[in-house]
Amino acid sequence: MGEYSVVGKSVERTDGRVKVTGKAKYAGDLVAPGMLHGKLLRSPLAHAKILNVDTNRAKALPGVIGVITGKDFPGIPYGTRPDTRDQLPMPITKVHHFGEGVAAVAAMDEDTAEEALDLIKVDYEELPVVLTAEDALKPDAPLVNEFSKSNLAYFSDFNFGDIEKGFKEADYIREEKFSSQRVTVGFIEPHACLAEVDPTGRVLLQGSKQSPYITWRHMCRALDIPLSGMRIVNPFVGGAFSGKHDPFDVDFAAAKLAQITGRPVKIVLNYDEVLAAYRQRNAMDARLKIGVRKNGAITALRAECILEGGPICGIGPFNVYYFGAFLNIPYKIPAIEYHGKLVYSNRAPCGTVRGQEITLAQFALDSLLHMVAEDLHIDQVEIRTINAVTDHWRTANGMMVDVSGLPKCIEKSAEKIKWQESRKGRPKGRGIGFSCASHPSGPRLGGHFGSSVILKLVEDGKVVLTHGGTEIGQGANTVFCQMAAEVLGLPFEDIIQGVSDSDTAILDSGMFGDRCTYWDGNATILAAKDLKRQLAEIAAKELKADPEELEFKSKRIFTKGNPEKGIDFLLAVRRAYYDQGTPLYGRGYWAATDIDIVDWKTGKGNLAHGLDFIATAIELEVDKETGKVTLIKAAHGDDAGQPINPLLLEGQVNGGSTHLAGQALLEESLYDEKGRALNFTWRDYKQPTSMDAPEYVVEHVHTHDPYGPFGAKGAGEASSCSTMAAIANGVCDAVGVRIKDLPITPEKILKALKEKEAK
Amino acid sequence: MKQEEILLKVNGTNYRLSIEPRRTLVEVLRENLGLTGTKKSCNEGDCGACTVLMDGRPVASCLVLAMDAQGREILTIEGLSEGQKLHPIQEAFLKHGAIQCGFCTPGMVMSAKAFLDQNPEPTTVEIRKAISGNLCRCTGYQHIVDSIMAASKMMQKKS
Amino acid sequence: MFIKRLPKFEYHAPTSLPEALDLLAKYDGKARVFAGGTDLLVSMKKREILPEHLISLKGIAELKGVHYDEKVEMRIGALVTLGEIEHSKIIQDDFCVLWDAVQVMASPQIRSLGTIGGNLCSAAPSADTAPPLIVLDASVEIISTKGKRKVLVENFFKGPGESVLNPDEILTHIFIPYPLKKSSGAYFKLMRRAAMDLAQVGVAVCLSFDSEKRVCRGARIALGAVGSTPIRVSKAEQILLNKEMSETVGKEAGKIAAQEASPRSSIRASKEYRREMIEVLTKRAVMAAYRRMG
Repeated sequence: MGEYSVVGKSVERTDGRVKVTGKAKYAGDLVAPGMLHGKLLRSPLAHAKILNVDTNRAKALPGVIGVITGKDFPGIPYGTRPDTRDQLPMPITKVHHFGEGVAAVAAMDEDTAEEALDLIKVDYEELPVVLTAEDALKPDAPLVNEFSKSNLAYFSDFNFGDIEKGFKEADYIREEKFSSQRVTVGFIEPHACLAEVDPTGRVLLQGSKQSPYITWRHMCRALDIPLSGMRIVNPFVGGAFSGKHDPFDVDFAAAKLAQITGRPVKIVLNYDEVLAAYRQRNAMDARLKIGVRKNGAITALRAECILEGGPICGIGPFNVYYFGAFLNIPYKIPAIEYHGKLVYSNRAPCGTVRGQEITLAQFALDSLLHMVAEDLHIDQVEIRTINAVTDHWRTANGMMVDVSGLPKCIEKSAEKIKWQESRKGRPKGRGIGFSCASHPSGPRLGGHFGSSVILKLVEDGKVVLTHGGTEIGQGANTVFCQMAAEVLGLPFEDIIQGVSDSDTAILDSGMFGDRCTYWDGNATILAAKDLKRQLAEIAAKELKADPEELEFKSKRIFTKGNPEKGIDFLLAVRRAYYDQGTPLYGRGYWAATDIDIVDWKTGKGNLAHGLDFIATAIELEVDKETGKVTLIKAAHGDDAGQPINPLLLEGQVNGGSTHLAGQALLEESLYDEKGRALNFTWRDYKQPTSMDAPEYVVEHVHTHDPYGPFGAKGAGEASSCSTMAAIANGVCDAVGVRIKDLPITPEKILKALKEKEAK
Repeated sequence: MKQEEILLKVNGTNYRLSIEPRRTLVEVLRENLGLTGTKKSCNEGDCGACTVLMDGRPVASCLVLAMDAQGREILTIEGLSEGQKLHPIQEAFLKHGAIQCGFCTPGMVMSAKAFLDQNPEPTTVEIRKAISGNLCRCTGYQHIVDSIMAASKMMQKKS
Repeated sequence: MFIKRLPKFEYHAPTSLPEALDLLAKYDGKARVFAGGTDLLVSMKKREILPEHLISLKGIAELKGVHYDEKVEMRIGALVTLGEIEHSKIIQDDFCVLWDAVQVMASPQIRSLGTIGGNLCSAAPSADTAPPLIVLDASVEIISTKGKRKVLVENFFKGPGESVLNPDEILTHIFIPYPLKKSSGAYFKLMRRAAMDLAQVGVAVCLSFDSEKRVCRGARIALGAVGSTPIRVSKAEQILLNKEMSETVGKEAGKIAAQEASPRSSIRASKEYRREMIEVLTKRAVMAAYRRMG
């Protein structure tokens, strides 16, 4: 930590002005000359063979320029891992879920495209559906995915520490089951894509995509074009939360139709399509058994979980490992045994959502911890403080906690929520629930994981920064500019965010897992240092000084301790460009190769750096007559190392918490017995409104991460992980009932209250 | 389908357009006038992304026929700032972290404008109610509420 | 299955009622009138309704405005928006049960467009203006080329989405008799979330009291979202008559009201929960109306 000029300040976002004036362009706003409009025809059945697709009448409709089906693609499956390539751009032999796109049309205008859909005739042969994990694992269950011989898509099993000893040493043991529901991701901008093919045959894709790298790799494979054959330029993205990494039929269809018609094709969905057929969070069933000492210290944990993930693996294999891995954190658990399964089903395909599986694991673990504390008459704050990981803790599965502000986070959230006062007395029906959580700053999921940043120093002294990722709202662009400005001693306004163009930006594994600030941030610092080195050499000659002894501050380059002996930053730039004809580029690449690429099936390894910590306290009220829960206040104590932009960080904490409050109390993606989506409009899928969200207070706990840029840790998803248990625990504190299956609905609360009264 | 000639007044400018009567206001704004600041998402009045002002009232422009928008003063996000000069609500949004992905922002700002023009001294509860028809998934609403409160104070000072 | 852009139709914008009625008659069965369009346009986008002709009523001046004669009645034009009602001091002061309802309907963006006439004509069982208008003893005026008729709102609904309005008729005004001096009301709406939501249960109550403002001399209770139409629950009303108001009495009335209703289970709520909530909300509405009496 130290005195920074730009880092640590709540500077205005680089993209704030264009967004607040309506000038920012999202994929649906883009137009290209000669552009066609595309639409997708969707399956009304959840599981069926595609016997025939007759597109002739559609093709004949005046104004229709192209019609495609799954058969127009090369038939090469793709997937997150080489051993889980189970997805096709569009289905060929069968449909796997309600609303799956089976054909796509490109027409001169949107109305004609819609009309054409009605002219496509699909013959289906209905197949029995698999809806739940139980269905999936029955011995005679129909197979969901044609690329897999089993409905068991993946599994993860591990055993670290001495679990038997752990349970023997426990003074108290409790075992409980927990479950959670299907939910949608819920970003406000629906999927949209504009694809064009240039005269040389290269595909240009401009879509609402979260991670250009992931989109690019999958699309080139499935379209059977060389990696150099696709260029991705990202417009602004209207929220993603991990629901927009993979390419979808929208993107594939736009690209293929562009290839076939030779014209740009834009496809924009309406939100009901998104709710019906696109990424959701997998449903979860888990059983946890915990052993603790008299004082509440955990001695052992045994967990089993099944994730029901729809008809593709996607990132599911990682999810099922992650659930178990992150049971090891944020509490000290000496011994852990875990068995996780991922199964296929005929509900919407799952990826992951804000907080990933940690949200579900933490819901289970922190609910259980609350129950144990109640049983042993231990204060909720105390039991968490006792178990909170501290600096240099190594978890049983090998994850290294370099620095942990968690004890302080707990203290601060308890203080802000007035925990002690509430124990002395509080209004009837009011309660406070706690939960802690930890989230890594970008796991290392493969050898290709890394981030890179390029800085171009323009002749006028300004810097253009490009990175391989996307600004999805998290403020990535802004914090990178802050970091570059800090290293180069320039004002924040002198760093300009460049376009995210895969031709000029380089590899970045993706915008997820809280990795951006950390990985791209470190890459930014290295790029800035690279530039600094080049400028220092020039300035050193000018000043006849040692380049190692030069400082960059306030647009000047000067010898340390002697500011008068210096030159203007701009002079060094001009020397390069105008005296030497040398352009100035800073290149930075960062990959945490010192951590492990963990085997997801067996789970041991240091998965990530920069474990951030949060303690969340939520005060709520339960109406005992209606069962309704009103969230009043949420106090978060958050350790994100050195906050780069406190205002943006708080926005992340607040947002994640409201999002998951939705999953805790309001949201559920419902299906009928045939797997058809029931509530696929926002009229019936209830995301939190401004009146559902509580008041937020965020207390920053400053620590210094040894590997993080300026000591920062990623912060986007911690509050997502701690909120659900805090709410469940708050309900318990308020009215003494424990709901273990999400969502916590008024009906469930009333039922539990009645059962309690009956006893 | 027969086209109709209509006259729309948007952000103070009069436009003569030839459209099918089935065109909604959001479609005409975005497709005919190129004003893509107003967003489309659910298309059925349940998200607020398409909020514009008609005669000072916030409306879901996906449910207004362009034909019925004639003779009204339509204000979109593009009409709020004057050149580089931002409206106090926009300044406040920037200052108080109310913008993340920005997709709900135009609708949110327009709802805020309609509200503050009628309620110059709001409470936070009233603010939350005023934007209850604008879904946001990024921010958790706190900073948006803070911004609108701050904007109200700024606007009071000016008047 | 999925929402689309609007289908083709011919658009008409009459400037007088006779003109509108003529158009309805002319396009016999193939035309629909609309005011705000917030229900109709969504149904059309979903291809549930496909009228060949749309008749916009927005230009008909006589359907607008709120007029009141304190000695007689309040007359609300069918085109009065929910937003106008929300901002009407007269309605807030003297017809608070209706004012309560518009507070919790849809969203500000929909309230600016949606009209009270439209809300009634859409005839959703959960229509929020219906229970309040029923307990206010309101009636609607319906016009056709054949003449006028008045129908009590209580008798206006036939089934989900169905009212007594014939295809060639237009609802023009809502008449609300001026409330008795010592009376007040309240509307309670149970929703899954705190805003922009349909009612799981809606309860409207209108009570009039004796000179001491303690004993109930007149009671009207109506429920929404718990039957195939909004309903009046007269047996429940009897429970309150000539009694001093209390939570116990309110609860009793709620119990009877729950028996008179026939809620269904849907993705919004189960019928068991709705029945239970009728009791709770009736009690609360009765107590709220009582407290408002002062």
